[in-house]
Amino acid sequence: MDLKTEVLVIGGGATGAGIARDLSLRGIPALLIEKGDLLSGASGRNHGLLHSGARYVVSDPEAARECIAENRILRKIAPHCLEETDGLFVSLPEDGLDFRDRFIQACQETTIPAKLLSREETLGLEPDLNPALLSAVKVPDGAIDPFELVLANAKDAEVHGATFLLHTEVTSFLVNGNKVTAAFAKDLLHGEEYRIEASYFINATGAWADNLLKKVGLCLPMALSKGSMLITNQRLSHRVINRCRPPSNGDIIVPNHTVSILGTTSVRLEDVECFEVMPHEVSLLIDETSKMLPNIREARLIRAYAGIRPLFQSEEKDDDRAISRGFVLIDHEMRDGLNNLITITGGKLVTYRLMAEKTVDLICKKLNIDLSCSTHLKPLTKRDHPCSLKDRLKTLGSMETLCDCELVGIEEVIEVLKEGKLKSFQDILRRTRLTKGTCQGAFCVHRLLGLLHDLGMVKEDSNHILKGFLEERWKGIRPILWGSALKEEELIEGIYKGIFNLKKSKEFGVGSSE
Amino acid sequence: MHYDLIIIGMGLSGLMAARVAAEAGKKVLIIGKGMGCLTLFSNTIDLLGKIPETVKLEDGLSQWIHDHPDHPYGKMGLEKIEEALSSFNSFFPPPYTFQSKNGTNSLVPTAAGTLRPTYLIPSTMMKGISLKKKKALIIGFQGYKDFYARRLADLFNCRGITLSLAENPQKEMTSTALARLMEQPFLRDLFSAEVKKQIRDEEIIGLPAVLGVNDPTKIRKEIEKKIGASLFEIPVPPPSIPGLRIFNRFKARLLQKGVTFLSGHPVTKVVLKGNRCEKIEVSHPPITNSYSADRFILATGRFLGGGLIADRLRILEPIFNLPVAQPGSQEKWFEGSFFDEHPIHRAGILTDVTLRPVDERGNLSFENVWVAGTILSGHHYLHEKSREGIEIVTGYWAARNAMRQ
Repeated sequence: MDLKTEVLVIGGGATGAGIARDLSLRGIPALLIEKGDLLSGASGRNHGLLHSGARYVVSDPEAARECIAENRILRKIAPHCLEETDGLFVSLPEDGLDFRDRFIQACQETTIPAKLLSREETLGLEPDLNPALLSAVKVPDGAIDPFELVLANAKDAEVHGATFLLHTEVTSFLVNGNKVTAAFAKDLLHGEEYRIEASYFINATGAWADNLLKKVGLCLPMALSKGSMLITNQRLSHRVINRCRPPSNGDIIVPNHTVSILGTTSVRLEDVECFEVMPHEVSLLIDETSKMLPNIREARLIRAYAGIRPLFQSEEKDDDRAISRGFVLIDHEMRDGLNNLITITGGKLVTYRLMAEKTVDLICKKLNIDLSCSTHLKPLTKRDHPCSLKDRLKTLGSMETLCDCELVGIEEVIEVLKEGKLKSFQDILRRTRLTKGTCQGAFCVHRLLGLLHDLGMVKEDSNHILKGFLEERWKGIRPILWGSALKEEELIEGIYKGIFNLKKSKEFGVGSSE
Repeated sequence: MHYDLIIIGMGLSGLMAARVAAEAGKKVLIIGKGMGCLTLFSNTIDLLGKIPETVKLEDGLSQWIHDHPDHPYGKMGLEKIEEALSSFNSFFPPPYTFQSKNGTNSLVPTAAGTLRPTYLIPSTMMKGISLKKKKALIIGFQGYKDFYARRLADLFNCRGITLSLAENPQKEMTSTALARLMEQPFLRDLFSAEVKKQIRDEEIIGLPAVLGVNDPTKIRKEIEKKIGASLFEIPVPPPSIPGLRIFNRFKARLLQKGVTFLSGHPVTKVVLKGNRCEKIEVSHPPITNSYSADRFILATGRFLGGGLIADRLRILEPIFNLPVAQPGSQEKWFEGSFFDEHPIHRAGILTDVTLRPVDERGNLSFENVWVAGTILSGHHYLHEKSREGIEIVTGYWAARNAMRQ
């Protein structure tokens, strides 16, 4: 099929969705193409931390400034995607107070509100913290739901005319002289092929940026850094808990919906598709985070997962295309003589909007049009169903739920199904809170399949979907199986392998998430 | 308080043991931190589901015993297995019986639209094994989330409907709530009338296993008469009503025979003297009660029941600290696919042929302690489909052996 658009955005993470929204709000036609679903990469595999910027305030003040500015904007435009929890930077005896004092000074210089709390005040706010702590600094960190945020951006982009082509991979480009004239793409689920003409091409593929550029014969030095995280079965603190020391392993604990997320590690990778969490990473995360919250040692873990940070390795020559060490915007006209190709990568989830703004500003400059950005002013639309834990708790008992962990109502799921454009089973899960709670989908996926049959959306033997899901779930469960997690595991195996007598699919290992 | 026998654990193995001892006229205490796992997984009685349906189970089992001397069945032998099973069966006289079809395993339909091999089938599930041969209608209930009639119909290639029975303010129902509703005559009338309206030429009607807790056969007969077709129950995710029926039957009979039942009582400590156990303590701070006995049976299940616990290095038995057959280091506990046979499930307590705990070298750990149920090592009940069989057989023989001494 032949398609034509003004701007082809490649990559359906926060950055790509943000760019699609920004373009469409400025009235520039955009098509977003993504080889998986929205949020398949790092956007769906992170902490869910709404950075105040404090974490980078000493090492990278420029990135910190961007974070606090975007933090303030997100509170205005996307309150339904956030939880304003605040964050504490806790100093333990072994951390000393030198870093803390530099930290407070740097926060002041960067206009990040920072309040020093005594040991007693801190323990009054968070009684489960290590009582040996010296002090803490309170900053405006928070929790963010990346799924709600990216889906809201995509929805708003769509409302304003952008179109989306998901599960479709760009296979090659047609280059004519100093211009890319078309991209060839293939629907990975149904095999349909596309030829997409555009005036501009944006590479917003995050950690995959280098892989994409290779298709036009270019390369980009990327440092792929895997960050692993653990999820606990309940919220362990009211606030985001950080270690008041230079960023390191296992020093962030984020309360998010009904769970807490412990992170992170940093492991240099060669392969961008490798998400496996290694046993020593699990040990490291528990050892380090439990120094701040000792009861993590007894907490029930429900999943381990990893995402890949797309870090840009600075090139030798002084590179003015790098806007900051936080993210990098590359105009390939200047760098490689390709007039209509732009790469945007690096950055944080919190700065996705700014990254989109700068990218679209560059497009406007190239188009020689004067259209200003409005994404920082126009609120993102809230979906009909309740998003936050607080709002969902209000619905308890008044609706039929599919997921009892996260209180996801059947009506909400039907609404998502009706929106259409779902190509795979995992697409449904990404658009709801299903499988994100305590049981990690052990109960609700069976119910979701039942609902799909009830609605006539599935008619064949759907147990291969159930098996595929259980295998996918297993990847995140297997690294954390000891202690009380073994109880749940025995229950789940007892249901699926025992009562249901489900057995390994012959095709295990290939395309199990379809 | 002093007892002849104290049984720790209220699953099927503990209940079987209590029954044997009580019938021998002993003074018995059965104590559990919950009420066992019967209400989670048990619907039918698995003996060795991995033996093909075409083979007489007795023959398959004989071969299995021969090939697996360290398996609990291998330790017991065919005769003892049969004796224990018939003891279980004598607790379930007609009309609610557990029977095999021609002495072989049969395939029972499940709520996931799969077929599951099992041995002894309660009378309320019997008709389900002819699902593929007869015209069937599957019935689900609005608001009951663990059973989807349309999905089952699509998978079993038959018809499925979901009934909305009554204006329910709660909107949602569990299997337990449905089973209690089914015990109400007005609801049975309503259900029968609805089914009668929907039924076409179907001969058998499948529904989730909720035909009442107390008298499922009476309820089934009454509805069958009204609708003019046979009913069968289909196993669902926990809680299991058929499992609750087994638990209730045992509990009622054991209480009649004077057995003391203490549920909600986690054993916090055992008091030992030499290689004998003298008493157990149950601590509900600030109160600690202790119970002494001549003999003890440990039937605490695996990880879910709390019979085994694991830190990141090894697996422990928390009450007596008995030696546990270890499945290697933590990275080796589980395989790469969820559906693999994970080595951790082979871990458990080693025993001699009389079910007394021993260490790796075969030395007896205690003189007056016996071990029963899934906590034992040497089996893989999930893959063998042998859960209830192991529980019944080892529970029965642990008590018999204990009584003998």
